[in-house]
Amino acid sequence: MIFREVEDRDLVVKARRGDVDAYNLLVSRWERRVFNYILRLVGDREDAMDLSQEAFLKAYQNLGKLDDAGRFAPWLFRIAHNEAFSLLRRNRPESEELVDQAPPAPGRRMLPVETSLAVAGALNRLSREQREAVELKVYQGFKFEEMAAILDLPVSTVKSRLYTAIEILKDALAPVGIREKS
Amino acid sequence: MNCTSIDLKEYFFGETAAGERRLVEEHLHACAVCRDELERLRQTKAALLSVREEEVPRRIAFVSDKVFEPRWYQRFWRSTPRLGFASAALLALAIFAHAPWFQPAPQPPRQAGADPSAVEARIRQEVAGRIDAAVRQALAESETRQQQKTAELVRAAEQRLAIEHRADLLAVQENFDVLRKRMSVLYTASADLGARQ
Repeated sequence: MIFREVEDRDLVVKARRGDVDAYNLLVSRWERRVFNYILRLVGDREDAMDLSQEAFLKAYQNLGKLDDAGRFAPWLFRIAHNEAFSLLRRNRPESEELVDQAPPAPGRRMLPVETSLAVAGALNRLSREQREAVELKVYQGFKFEEMAAILDLPVSTVKSRLYTAIEILKDALAPVGIREKS
Repeated sequence: MNCTSIDLKEYFFGETAAGERRLVEEHLHACAVCRDELERLRQTKAALLSVREEEVPRRIAFVSDKVFEPRWYQRFWRSTPRLGFASAALLALAIFAHAPWFQPAPQPPRQAGADPSAVEARIRQEVAGRIDAAVRQALAESETRQQQKTAELVRAAEQRLAIEHRADLLAVQENFDVLRKRMSVLYTASADLGARQ
C-alpha cells in the first residue's frame, strides 16, 4: 500500500464539515480508478466520464450517510456500481455486448497490442457480473469482504463469480502449452 | 492437505489466513501440479495487468456551493471540537455541583531538598526521549512499507521478464524451424537441378 500523509478518512471528515478542497483531493485520488472501473463495465468513454462525475457528486451529497469514514473506497465503488448498472439496464441487454474475439494462438510471443486484444477478447467472454468481479479484485485490489459490500452479495457468491471468471481467463491467457519446458 | 482441500485461488489473491497459508505453501512445495496451476494464475494476472489504464478525459472537481454546505449547527455538530466543548461543559457542571461539599486537603510540607530546575531538566529529558522513540518508530514503519513496496515491484518485474523470456525462446524456436524448412527446400531444389543437368 502506498503511504499517504493524509488518509482518506481525514479527508472524509473534513469534507463532511464542508471543506470542498478536501473532497476534491479525494476525487483526484480516486477518479482514475473509478473511471476505469466504470469504463470496463459500460465500454464507452463518454458514458464512463458522465457516470464517474455522477458517482462523485452523489458521494459528496451523501457523505453524511457513510457510517465508517475509513471505508470510503468500497462505499464509493458501490455508488459507481449502481450508476453503471442503472445505465446498462436502461440501454443494453447483456447479450448485445458479448463479442467473442479469439485470442492469438498460444505458444508464440504476443506483441503489446496483441496482448491488449487478447485480454479484451478474454474479458469479453465473461458475463458482466464475472467481469466486474475481476475488475474489483485484479484491477482495484479489493478484498473479498469489500467486494461483497460493493456488490451487496454474500462473500461466497463473490468468490464463486471470481473463480469462474479466472478459470475462463486462465484458459485464454495462460494456456497449458505456453509453459516453459523444464 | 491435498490438491482438492486447498483453495489455491484464495491463496493466490492473498486472502488465506496466516495459519492455513503455511499449510498451502507446504503442499505447493511437494505438488508440481499445484505449482503449475499457481504459475498459470500468475501469468493470467500479469497479462490482465499489462493492459494500461485509460486516462480520465476531463478532471473532475467541485466548487463550493451554498446549497450543499452544511449549516453552522451541522458543522459544529460534525466537528471534533464539539467533543472538547461537551467535555468542558460536563467538567464545569461537576465542579459546580461538588463545590458546597468540597474541603481542601491539607497541603503536604514542601520537601526542603527539592530542586525545581532538576525536576524541569528531568521532565525535558523524558519528553525528548519519548519524541525520539516516536520518530524512530514512525521511520521504521515507513521504511518497512517502502521495502515491501519495492519487493512487490521487483517480484512483478521478474515475473514479467520470465514470461517475455519464455515467449522469446518460443519465437526463436519458430524462426529456427522456418529457417530449417527453407534450407530443406533449397537443398531439394538444388538436388533436382543437379539431377536435370
